Amino acid sequence: MSRRRWTSIGGSAVPSVGQVLTYAILIGLSIVVLAPVVWAVLSSFKTQSELAQRPPAPLPSSLATANYTEALSSFDFGLYLQNSVIVTVGATLLTVVVNTMCAYGLAKYNFRGRDVLFLIVLGTIMIPLQLIFIPVYQMAAQLGLVNSLWGLIIPPAATPTGVFLLRQYMLGIPDDLIEAARIDGAGEFRIFARIVVPLCGAALAVVTIFSVMWRWNDFLWPLIISQDQAKYTLPVALAQFNSQLSVPFNYILAMSVVSMLPVVVIFLILQRHIVRGIANTGFK
Amino acid sequence: MSSTPSRRARAKPWNQRLAPYLFVLPNMLIFGLFVVYPAINNFNISLYDSRNGRDFTFVGGANYQELFGSEAFCSAARATVVFATCFVVLTTVLSVALALMLNQRIKGRAFFRTVFFLPVVLSPVVVGLIWGWIFDRGNGLLNTVLARIGLGQPGWLVDGGLATIVVIFVGLWMHIGFYILIILAGLQGIDPTYYEAARMDGATNWQQLRKITLPLLRPTTMVVVILSLIAGFQAFDYIWTLTGGGPIGATTLMVQYIYENAFQSPIRYGLAAAASVVLFVTVFALTLLNFLYGRRKEAT
Repeated sequence: MSRRRWTSIGGSAVPSVGQVLTYAILIGLSIVVLAPVVWAVLSSFKTQSELAQRPPAPLPSSLATANYTEALSSFDFGLYLQNSVIVTVGATLLTVVVNTMCAYGLAKYNFRGRDVLFLIVLGTIMIPLQLIFIPVYQMAAQLGLVNSLWGLIIPPAATPTGVFLLRQYMLGIPDDLIEAARIDGAGEFRIFARIVVPLCGAALAVVTIFSVMWRWNDFLWPLIISQDQAKYTLPVALAQFNSQLSVPFNYILAMSVVSMLPVVVIFLILQRHIVRGIANTGFK
Repeated sequence: MSSTPSRRARAKPWNQRLAPYLFVLPNMLIFGLFVVYPAINNFNISLYDSRNGRDFTFVGGANYQELFGSEAFCSAARATVVFATCFVVLTTVLSVALALMLNQRIKGRAFFRTVFFLPVVLSPVVVGLIWGWIFDRGNGLLNTVLARIGLGQPGWLVDGGLATIVVIFVGLWMHIGFYILIILAGLQGIDPTYYEAARMDGATNWQQLRKITLPLLRPTTMVVVILSLIAGFQAFDYIWTLTGGGPIGATTLMVQYIYENAFQSPIRYGLAAAASVVLFVTVFALTLLNFLYGRRKEAT
């Protein structure tokens, strides 16, 4: 590790003003970041009357899971959870497969139209769904994808960032390796599946994590496509219930915690890879 | 990306010539159907009017005329510009400042990085929901605390100006970790020998920051500006649960305006599509401008 510093800390035993200030700011901001999440998780165990209590008690009277079991039984919470899982898993699988194939085609072949196709990929990074969702919805409607989980899985699957990240990564794989496999008589698809894909572990991990995060948390597109309550994903269900005063807030909190939990757990387990992956791939 | 000698390409066996097309096909099919064609079609739709999504009639630029005369659109456009400007400026300044702090040798650096990145993985709907509850005038945690220490109880989500500040604050809270990470990556890329040389010449830390770090960080900062610009102009989901676009439309941004016109009665596809063309062109032009500006700075 090289030494890089911006404030005069030196090796002195007495912390400088700059150092104290840095710690004060970082600790203060950490509290601002963590407090709402911790508060929401703690409060998700509170009863309705405890939630209404003024001033609120920091801790729930007991770590009762009643909110969770009741929210689960009084709404189709299980169904929304299931929809979210199906969409996230399905869309991520599709994303990884089509993105990896496309990245390989763009990275390791010279063919007519390649540069144009790559420019399209780069260009579409600037066209998020939020800007064009009306024609995308019309297209989905024509293909019969409205009110179907397929409509949540297929349209957002081809992510430009995924193709871009994987392509950059694959450029680093030596061409000789592929040539050698060809000489040994391996078919094109076999080379891709058996040699290239196993070498892309780190990049595939990043694309997978991102896809899971995006699909699990996605709101606008599921809101548009799932008009029938039976096709709601968790975020859509949460937002709709939140706008109805009839749904008690302790249930909403319990559902929020359940919808936060999977990505937070995945994040905490894989955070090293996520942070390194973002830092090392593409965005520079 | 140099093109290949065609002689060699022709000599390749058929399966090697066909393979790349098959590899890119699935992805490009989805791109074509759900990104490229819709992006073009968006413009087409904006030239038509329809009653509740049926009976399209060609109206030319009438939708655009109607948009710029409509108070609701102008309000959403103004709110979006205010939001996006504040968001981009604060994101850039704060992410650089915090990344510089986190790039020092300090205890708990990994912990702080993890904490600041955590909100990035959270569901925006849940983020909006939790903050909306904390900022609530009557039942909110914040006002309870403020009342406890003898301060007033501002109507955070009832007053238009305050609600705008709240929305910007929550946006920063949720996204800043991602941009900090990008800046950190940029800082790692700066050659440490510059600093060694500067120290030998007796440069102060402040001079090193001004003369080495910030100039060399400019390309990375530009990436942050462009990404936050795109994010700022498409903000929607967490605002929907945080304020619902209120009070009285103060936090209704463009995407929500488009959504409401496209999917809530009376459905006005053409008008909504025209609004998204305006949004699209704005984002595109600003991104391009930033890009060109960054290029020019690098050249000089």
